[in-house]
Amino acid sequence: MNLPGLAVRNIYRNPVRLALTIAGVAVALLTFVTLRTAVMSWDEAKNYTLKDRLVTRHKVTFVMDLPKNYADDVRDLKGADGKPLIRASTFLNWFGGKDPAHENDFFATIAADHTTFLTVYDEIKIPDDQLKAFNETRNGAVVGDLLAAKFNWKVGDNITLESPIFGARENGEPWAFKIVGLYSTTSKAVDRLTFYFRWDYMNDGVRAEAKDRVGWIASRSVDAAHAAEVTAAIDKRFDDADTQTLTQDEATFFQGFMGMVSSVLAIMSYLSYIILAILGLILANAISMSVRERTNEYASMKAIGFHAKTLASLILTESTLIALAGAIPGVILSYLIVDVALGDFLEYNLANFFPVFRVKIWTYAEAVAAATVIGLLAGIVPALTVARLNVVENLRRVA
Amino acid sequence: MIPYQYNLRSIWVRRVTAIITVLGVALVTAVLAAALMLAAGVKKSVAVGGQDDVAIIMRAGATGELESGVDEAAVGLVLSQPGLAQENGKPIGGGEIVVVVALDKLGAIGFSNVNMRGYSDQSLKLRPNLKVVEGALPKPGTDEAMVGRGILGRFKGLTLGDQISVRKNRPLRIVGVFEDGGSGAESEIWADVVTVRAAFGRQSGVSVVRARLASAGGIDAFRAVIESDKRLGLKVKSEPDFLAAQSEGLSKFLTIMGFIVSLFFSLGAIIGATITMHAAVAHRTREIGTLRALGFSRYAILMGFLMEALVMTVTGGAIGLLGALALSTTKISMMNPATWSELVFALAPSTQAFVTAGLFSVGMGLLGGFLPAVRASRISPLEALRS
Repeated sequence: MNLPGLAVRNIYRNPVRLALTIAGVAVALLTFVTLRTAVMSWDEAKNYTLKDRLVTRHKVTFVMDLPKNYADDVRDLKGADGKPLIRASTFLNWFGGKDPAHENDFFATIAADHTTFLTVYDEIKIPDDQLKAFNETRNGAVVGDLLAAKFNWKVGDNITLESPIFGARENGEPWAFKIVGLYSTTSKAVDRLTFYFRWDYMNDGVRAEAKDRVGWIASRSVDAAHAAEVTAAIDKRFDDADTQTLTQDEATFFQGFMGMVSSVLAIMSYLSYIILAILGLILANAISMSVRERTNEYASMKAIGFHAKTLASLILTESTLIALAGAIPGVILSYLIVDVALGDFLEYNLANFFPVFRVKIWTYAEAVAAATVIGLLAGIVPALTVARLNVVENLRRVA
Repeated sequence: MIPYQYNLRSIWVRRVTAIITVLGVALVTAVLAAALMLAAGVKKSVAVGGQDDVAIIMRAGATGELESGVDEAAVGLVLSQPGLAQENGKPIGGGEIVVVVALDKLGAIGFSNVNMRGYSDQSLKLRPNLKVVEGALPKPGTDEAMVGRGILGRFKGLTLGDQISVRKNRPLRIVGVFEDGGSGAESEIWADVVTVRAAFGRQSGVSVVRARLASAGGIDAFRAVIESDKRLGLKVKSEPDFLAAQSEGLSKFLTIMGFIVSLFFSLGAIIGATITMHAAVAHRTREIGTLRALGFSRYAILMGFLMEALVMTVTGGAIGLLGALALSTTKISMMNPATWSELVFALAPSTQAFVTAGLFSVGMGLLGGFLPAVRASRISPLEALRS
């Protein structure tokens, strides 16, 4: 029998311990993959943003809005050569609506200018007849198909929402909406969990001082390659006005939001290292135990002429093989639980936070590599012990 | 019962694997304790300093100060109601305006929101613990501001002598740093209410009114007066109630996350303990047989091995708790969804966190030790001695 063969045989000598170790490694890797995927997904969502979609908001704070005429100014912006810089623009308001029937379920409610909205967010698809109804119904709303499924809403339903931001309508009536359409999307840049309704209906109902104000302006630059210059041009346009703006392309805008969750992401990263440490402890425990039990054998092997190096590599091979044996079910479990089950659940229910929650190939590779390296490290101390074994003393020892 | 020295010495014989097992449990316990300390830290920093006799008057539908709005006319009306404490014939209380400003984080990518509070001299009377520890109190009616100790230096512009821009050519200069007994206010920027209103174009009103009641027990009567006037559309909350609600979401999130993560982590530690105990039992078949032959019952063997596992995991738990305790000076900055702004808080050691995490380590010992202990108790004395 050759040496690797012996290493494999050794692994099977204690089936219970082997099974436990494999389970431990698998669970640890599953946890590692979950944590890494949560961290990566935030970054990943950035890849779906559009470089040529620009968001213009109040320079200082999101609680302040902009005059509506800023939207016209953005749309009409021209470059030094007199050519238009913007090919489409729209304006939106955060409504902060809550459905009394779903008190504890958060969903985004946004007032959007129905005439221009779809030119900027062209990933949003609404059937033609429903779009027509949206244009014809002042209190019409189009709702993400996933949100509608969640709350069991259908086209034609009447919904009343409350808004802590705007209070009741100026005339004292409630905010009553009619769902005229459901939308789906062709890209993950836009979630399917938002309640969009017509901006003009909102503007009718708000108090005098809140009229003709927009929360933010979204636009598409003519030339994606020069988006940076266009964002600068927009902000320069309002530099001397009463209210200054901050314009960012969607990717930068999204990146900025990372600041709000950066501490949570940092904690998750630390945790993913801690689970690797636990993984290392499990492996170290298992391998040092096996070696300890077989001290006599190693002493005998040494006595009949095996080199210290050979014995050390025998142990290192064994510990790495055990780690790999655990890594395989770990990856399979991760695929089933994180990628399939958890991914579907989060993308369906928490798309606002995790538009994409899928394990990257890279993360699997990371997990397997981590297990292999840790397996090798876990074997070092026992390997050194055996390499330095005093033959006479150990043969004399009673196990 | 088997003398406990037997089990302790057996652990010592296998000290390498015992130490490894202990370390695994220590890590898991530390993670859970730290998560619970985070949650307690949020509660502590948000809720600290809430006074029973201070009432917060805000818009009926609002869940936080940011969403709330109280008209100028309503402010006067609220303050003229009976039941408020008086000083020189005037009620103690006034309007405060709360906005958030987006500032670039220092030492991390991106920006986050910081609460900015427009305050008056009345606000200071309602916060007896607030004191300026560096620099000076901003002069009323100027573009001067002070910044809470917690948030100091965590964002661009938030250092003494620096400035942040809230409007073109109207920078707010940071002239002071204040402490407020570790409260949530230490994560805020404070400036004159008139200055903030002008800078944000909020001339028509304030966010909330804070007032001191003549007595803490008077809140129900005061609430009845304010809330019965439907035209006002306002509600009254006591400061402790209000602050507790502000911390609920984030502390709940941290607690749940802590438990989920620890549960997964503990699987690793439990398996580690099982491996160790399994080997301990397998190697001591003859010893166990001898013990049985000497007359120790199956139950005594079971308990002995369970105890052996428990000694290891509880030791690990204690080490983990010490580790978590060492983190208690660490400050964390996190966005509180209830206020949409950053809250800086320290991990707060709490009895509850320690008891929960400690019990968790006992649980890991019981789960990890159970199967091997059962196996040990089933060893037949005859066969064991014959082997």
